[in-house]
Amino acid sequence: MLNENSHLTDHELLLAADGELSAHRAKAVRTHLSACWHCHARMSELESAIVDFVRVHHQALDGELPPIGPSRAQFSARLSDLAVKPKASSVRAFFRFTGARRACAYLCYGLFAASLVLALLIGQPLRSFLFGHAPMGVGPSVEDGVEPNPELTPGATRQVSISDVCAVPHEEVVVDVPNSLREKILREYGIVEKRKGDYEIDFLIAPRLGGTEDLQNLWPEPYASPVWNARVKDELEERLHELVCSGKVNLRTAQNDISADWIGAYKKYFNADQPIRTSTQFGARRRTNLQL
Amino acid sequence: MESIDHISLPALAATAFSPDRSEIECEVMRFFEEFRSPLLRYSLSFGISVHDAEEVIQEVFLALFLHLRSEKSRKNLRGWLFRVAHNQVLRKRSALQHQVQVTSSDWMGAALQADPSPNPEEQLFANLRTQRLVAVLRVLPEIDQCCLRLRAEGLRYREIASVLGISLGAVSMSLTRTLGRLLRADRS
Repeated sequence: MLNENSHLTDHELLLAADGELSAHRAKAVRTHLSACWHCHARMSELESAIVDFVRVHHQALDGELPPIGPSRAQFSARLSDLAVKPKASSVRAFFRFTGARRACAYLCYGLFAASLVLALLIGQPLRSFLFGHAPMGVGPSVEDGVEPNPELTPGATRQVSISDVCAVPHEEVVVDVPNSLREKILREYGIVEKRKGDYEIDFLIAPRLGGTEDLQNLWPEPYASPVWNARVKDELEERLHELVCSGKVNLRTAQNDISADWIGAYKKYFNADQPIRTSTQFGARRRTNLQL
Repeated sequence: MESIDHISLPALAATAFSPDRSEIECEVMRFFEEFRSPLLRYSLSFGISVHDAEEVIQEVFLALFLHLRSEKSRKNLRGWLFRVAHNQVLRKRSALQHQVQVTSSDWMGAALQADPSPNPEEQLFANLRTQRLVAVLRVLPEIDQCCLRLRAEGLRYREIASVLGISLGAVSMSLTRTLGRLLRADRS
């Protein structure tokens, strides 16, 4: 609930302007804006900045866009060519090999299979020998900080019905964490001033699953985790939301599973030992700024 | 790109929606009509040439055809198109950078042309605002520029997160940070 005496943050204003708040939150923001001239004026400035950017974006690029006609014709021809080609099947492609190519392919497949068996047979003992006892199991190791400290962040929920949870599509719920709360959480986790920018304050139990905006349900999640990162958790939340709303998983079970061990929950609900999609490729790119 | 000189363009255009086409081909052509310009604009904003951007876009839609023909997920195809275009453009730009230095500042050059405002005073004021805006945009990290451009093309936060491979929270923080900078530049 918004405090009438405090102003909206820029983040809240932008989410409201972009229609990314939950219906409940959006209503509270609208009510505040109608009563507060200060925030109303800031919202107008924000919208004006958006208009300016869109104008510059189009002014800079629209003039360069060639007419669609020739492009469409060319694409149409390429599409026709592609459409008449048969679907490539990996099995058919395997048997398409002939003569020396087939012998070479068999050799490669044989070597690959042998190395796989070898890796399975000696991989684990070798790791144990080199690095001491390691837990069995395949999949990426869990990086530091990707799961919250259960003592500080056990998870907290509000009284909510299935119809409340499912009334709003998951993509419309983006909740802004107030700065004061963010600071408090970072302090609890002992994160020093200079490293604050490396973390995103994330909900353990997402609001769309009935999680609350409390200290017990928020933790600093590192941006840079290469495998189990915030994006992977978003995917889990989306999956759980779908499962809960389709009646396949009980809301309480979903809340318990995600709060006990969200990585374990991901593996359980995606039936996968590691994230299905990872952002490491882009992560490497993020570090390079444009030379403008 | 393949040469189509031997067939007239109107004849080719007429076949674009011909009844001989399969349902998937027609669907891909419809996507081409709707998203070719936004994708082209997004690709050009990385500083590659129009020719290269057109090549990227054609590859993206051909990939869409293969994707649909293989009966893969149809969930959020707009986000899928932008994600494929984004990755293709980065690959293209990386290949080009080995040959010649490409910078993304070019795409904002046209925005600095005189604004056709009604009188000289308004024109001067508008040009100053544009200059300030462009100055801020030019120093933004690439991830923030991408978020902003994708949002300008109408993508929702979740779609942007999927295109760029970042979290939903990172998208909203990026946009807030950038809009904050634009506002401060405008006030100064």
